Order: sequence, then C-alpha cells, then structure tokens
Amino acid sequence: MSRITRSPRLIAAVAAVAVAGLALATVPAQATLRNEVGVTSTSITFGITVPMSGIAAPGYNKLAPAAQGYLDYVNDNGGVNGRKVYLKVEDDRYAPATAVSKTNKLVLQDKVFGIAGALGTANHLAVLKSVNPGKRGVPDLFVNTGFSGFDDPKKYPTTFMILPSYVMEAKIMGKYLATKFPGKKIGLIYQDDDFGRNAKTGFAAAGTKFDVSKGYASGSQSAATFAGSQVKAMKDAGVDVVVMFGVTTATAAALGAARAIGYSGQWILGSVGGDATTLKALGVPAALLAGSIGASFVPSTSDDKDPYVVKFKEINDKYNKGKDKTFDNNVFTGMNLGYMLVAALRAAGPNPTRAGVVKALESKGASIAAPGLVPLGYSATSHAGYTGYWFGKYDTTGALIPDDGPGKYAVWVTDSGSGAVTASNFVRPAMPANAIPNN
Amino acid sequence: MLKLIPRPLRTLIVIALLAVVFILLADRVDEYRVYQGATIAAYVVAIISIVLLTGYSGQVSLGHGALMAVGGYSAALVVQNLHWPLWISFFVAVLGAAAVGAILGIAAARLSGPYLAGTTLAFAVGLPSIANRFTALGGEQGIGYDVGLPPARFGDSFTQYKWLFWICAAATLVAVGVAIHISRSRYGRIWRAVRADETAAALAGINVARSKVLVFTISAGFAGLAGALFSTTVFLVAPASFSLGLSFLILTGAVIGGVRSIYGAIIGAFVLIIIPIIAETLSSGASESVATNLPAVITGALLVLTVLLSPGGTAATFEHLTKAIRGKVRH
Repeated sequence: MSRITRSPRLIAAVAAVAVAGLALATVPAQATLRNEVGVTSTSITFGITVPMSGIAAPGYNKLAPAAQGYLDYVNDNGGVNGRKVYLKVEDDRYAPATAVSKTNKLVLQDKVFGIAGALGTANHLAVLKSVNPGKRGVPDLFVNTGFSGFDDPKKYPTTFMILPSYVMEAKIMGKYLATKFPGKKIGLIYQDDDFGRNAKTGFAAAGTKFDVSKGYASGSQSAATFAGSQVKAMKDAGVDVVVMFGVTTATAAALGAARAIGYSGQWILGSVGGDATTLKALGVPAALLAGSIGASFVPSTSDDKDPYVVKFKEINDKYNKGKDKTFDNNVFTGMNLGYMLVAALRAAGPNPTRAGVVKALESKGASIAAPGLVPLGYSATSHAGYTGYWFGKYDTTGALIPDDGPGKYAVWVTDSGSGAVTASNFVRPAMPANAIPNN
Repeated sequence: MLKLIPRPLRTLIVIALLAVVFILLADRVDEYRVYQGATIAAYVVAIISIVLLTGYSGQVSLGHGALMAVGGYSAALVVQNLHWPLWISFFVAVLGAAAVGAILGIAAARLSGPYLAGTTLAFAVGLPSIANRFTALGGEQGIGYDVGLPPARFGDSFTQYKWLFWICAAATLVAVGVAIHISRSRYGRIWRAVRADETAAALAGINVARSKVLVFTISAGFAGLAGALFSTTVFLVAPASFSLGLSFLILTGAVIGGVRSIYGAIIGAFVLIIIPIIAETLSSGASESVATNLPAVITGALLVLTVLLSPGGTAATFEHLTKAIRGKVRH
C-alpha cells in the first residue's frame, strides 16, 4: 500500500473514493443459491421495454399493464410451479437509443431472467446489436414486431417472434386479393423502410401485381402529413382496392384523406395500422373505418363466444392496473404475452433456466395450447411465432367481424420463405382451465 | 512543487492519470456501470460543445442535437459504405459537423439571443426528417454503426461494453484536453472578450463576426464527435436518437454543471445519468405516470435551482468553495 504515496496523493484519494462509490452503488450480489439469473425460490422476473410515453405511446402503452394483469392473475392462482412471475416495465419512448439503455438496465442491472415482448423493429434491431441477448444467453421472448429478420436462430439464438411476419401477412393478403378481387385494379401504400420492404417481399412471393404502388417515408412527422398525394394517386388511377401497409398514424391519415377527397375504394388495412381503438384515439370515427377489411391472428375482441376473449375480459376487469383498460387488440396482445411467458416457463420444467426455456420453446413451443387461431411455428430451426391470418370487415363499432360471420374464422397459413399460402385446417386446442397454461 | 511543471504538461499528466483511473475503474465495476460510463463520456463531449459556444462566446444554440446527428451519420456512413476504421470515422464526424456548423455559424454571426435560438431550434426540428428522405440514410431505422469486437488478445472476459467504454473514454479525454487547450489559447480569450462586450471587443481590433463563426464551427466539431460516440453505444444512428429533447438535455447538463467550465461539463454529464437513477429510487412503488415524469421534474427543478442559486453552475460553486476554504476569495 505504501507505494501509492509515490503517485499524487490527491488523485489517488479521488480514485479510491470513486472506486468505492461506484462499487457500493452497484447491485448487491445475487442470492447465493445456485439459481438462474432472475429466478429465486419464490419468483421469476422478466423485463419489457415499451413506449409508455411519447408519440407511439397511445395503444402500445396498454400492452405491459395487460401482461402484468394476466401474470398477477396467474400469481394469485399459485404462480408457475410455486414461483410468482413478474414483469418489470421500462419506458423506451420508442427510441432506439433509449430501448438499448433500458434493456441494458433490465439485463445488466436488474438482472432479469429474460426480455419479453420488446416492441418496434428499429428499436429491437438496435437492442440485438448492442445488448446482444443471444451472446449473453438471455431469452428474448415473443418480440412484438413482425419483421421476419428476427426469426433467425443462427444469428439470434435466444430471440423468438410472436407475431406472424410481415412477409407472411403480405403473402396471405396477396392470396386474399387474388381470391376475392380478381380482375380489380389494386393499389398499395407502404411505409418505405424494413417494415414496408418486408411486406413487398411477401407480395412479390405471392405474385401480387399492383397497378399503383406508393411509398411514404417512415417517421411520425411525415406519416401524419403524407396522406394526400398517395391517396389522390389511387383515386386518379381509378384503383378499386387499396392495401394500406403502414403504421397507425399513417393509416389514420390515409382514411382521413380518402374522405376529404371523396375517394371510395375498398381499403385493406395491414395488422400494424389496423387497430381500431388506436385509430379511434387518433380521431378516426368508427363510421369512417367501417367497411374496411382488416387481418388478425387472434379472435376478434368482440367475439363473446370465444373462451379466451371471455376469460381475458374477466381478468382484465379485475387485474389490469393500467390507466386505460378498454378491452381491445392491445390488451389481448398483452394478455397473450403473459400467457405465453407462463407457458414457456412451464415447458422448461420446475426449475427453469435461461437455456432451458430456449430449448423447451424449440422442442415443445409449437404444441403450446395458445390463444391464437393459427399454429405456432417454433422448432430448432425456426423461431417464427404465429404463422397465419384471417380476414374480416370492421363494423360500425370498430369491431373486426370475420368474412364468414361472427366466430367463423377462415384461417390461412404460410411461412416467411417460398412456401405456399394454404387454407389452414388447424384446430385450436381447447383452452386450459381458467386460461392458465397446463402444458 | 506542481507549479514548476508547465501548464500544458500538467493538463497532460492529469489526463493520463485519469485514463489510468478509468481503466482500473472499468475492471472493478459491473458491466452496466461500464456501459453508463460510455454514455457519460459521450455526454461530456456534447456538453463541452455547449460550454465552448455558450459559456465562452455567449451564443445560444438549441440545435446541437442536430449537429450531433450530422456527426453520427457522417461517421456511420464512412464506416458502413467505405469501411474506414472507427478512429478515422471520429475525425470524419468532427469535420462533417464542423462543416455544417460553419454554415450555421455564418447565419449565427448575424443573429443573437432569441433569434439565434429560434434558428438553431428550427434546424434541430427539421434535420431529422432528412434521414427519412434519402434511402441511403436508412429512414427511421437508421444505419448501423458497429464498433466491432474487442481485440481477441484481451481475452474472453473483456466485454463488448468495456471495449466501448475504452473507446469513448479515450476519445473524450482527448476532446477534454483539446477543449482546455483551446479555452486557454488566444481564441479562448477573444471569445470571452466578445461575450463580455461586443463593441469593446471590436474596438480592441477583434473581428467579432469571424470569431463567432469560428466558435460555432469548433463547437459543432465537438458536437459531431459527441454524436459519433453517442451512436457507438447504440450501434446505430437513427433520427429518433437525436430528438429535440437531446438538444435541451445537453443544454441542461451544461447549465447544471457550469456553463463556463470544461470541468463543469464532466459534472453535468454525470448529473444527466444520475437523475434517472435517483428518480427511479424515489418513484419505486409510485404510480406509472409519476414514474414516467419524475426524471423531467427533477431535471427541471435542478435547472431552476441552479440558475437561481448558482448561475455559474456546480463547477463555479466548487471553485468558490475551494477558494473560500483557502481564504482567498478575491471578489
């Protein structure tokens, strides 16, 4: 120790204080039990980053409280093999830099078991590069974006998708267009980034030819103001059916512009921009939305005969502590996330490990009895989530009603590659008692 | 005895010692602190750019977030497309932002006070949408900016974030050294003279307009480097990373730390990182809306308190305190 006096004392002292301070400020050592990170004898903690404030918050800020509500419900019913499951929420404001720093906080400081339901393509691409959950062995479960690039077990070994990919959606939409609107003039408005390009890949695979195709630059400012020219181009070209593959703000702007310029073509809205409650929150009257075609892979939230809708509504009323808990697609998606987390943990056995959960999802994930109406695509070589869609029309209340009538879902399935689009004969497994996974 | 060593050499020694401290620190704290350290380093450079501009020459910019974006994009583009090494991309960031800063500075030389603030604000609002215009800039998703893996000879335990911290800390130390040197140079004195009284400075033979353009250019260069460093921590540059909020945040950091002190920039950067941590401790168990807004409330309160109680910022307060303790307060 005496050697230290040879260097300037002041700086040595400052350094010592700084080291001590930082060391004290760090999280105390994990419980000495040889448990997995994020797991104690009584709890398992996941982390989620979602926009809870900022421009993208409306709608998306309902996901995490709904998922937490579902987990609280499971915890009140004994948890998962005796452990309570928690979800730590961080606000990423829908900005990549914030998503990275908040995910780092969850993984490195809070030491969560895994990341769950991360939202936004750009945000999560940044997280995968910087935080690199795959390299750290941190499960990155049920990413809430349809960018097909996240289904890449070699590059991202611990990342699992939940939404059908945009490629799948576009392929199925292409098939739907060919079946329902043969010979009609078809138009496309798409977001000019990975999201929109992913969709164009799908349309190309489906052999869909658009008579008019218009892109718009991604970014909220442009999305809110773009609509006029693209919609006018559809009107001028006499397009009968327009596919809108954009975010909700852009979709709202497009529908508004259509009314303003008196364009009366048939709209088909992609799943990303087609959430009725968010559209309503953005000022689109339900009457304007009515008659548009939409796509979904979960039961219609107005389907009061669907057991999951009934049970999730009940859980939502009792357990959701969010500010706005109006039951809609976002709430359903949040509950579905909670449900899938519980199912994944159960699949990994009584003492889940990070590696165990990844392995279990690969080997048993596809057979989970899940709330979606389409099959799950998990295997050792595929981390694709749900793999199909059904189509319907929005009614005057904003509810999406299947083409064949309420409760009659005609489901089509495909993959993100060159596989065909086929009518699905998938029969959803019966809901486990009380909507708690029993796998 | 210290006084025997010439001043530039003393600065160099202090910086070298700081480097050693940082290297030792990075080995002793957990990885999350290391990551935060890299972010702090980026903020230090960003705040220095404000200190030079506002603190030394008295010009106000609300658009430095946009200049950071210029730096970040310049750096990422040459790494991504031309595969230039990372350290060269830092220079590209400095030059790119400085070039834009020079143009902005020419406008700035004709404007002052709220007009200048307004112009730079418009710049910060408008610039990010350029990224959405050109596909080469990657739209909302931005473009990748990969610092690469740490050299293999450091071993497996040398994490990616530690590597990131080394890079950012090294660049920041160089930047601090350069900034201190500039502030003590003839130009530093000229800028201070212009800030104190433009007419008097002009009478003393100083070309006021030229000095304003110069300081804007140099400040923009620092902002550019900060933008590149900031982007390394995210591994990409995207418009959302350089929101309007960032411009205000670094301005806040500068005021709290001490807008006339390079060392104040270091304090300011720490404060910016520490506030969210404090806010989280305070708001644990509080409702979601309280938790979401508390950091902004604390930052705002600190800003107001600083301006009311110690307009010179934390650095000035420290200076006064040390002088008071030594019984040497001269004014």
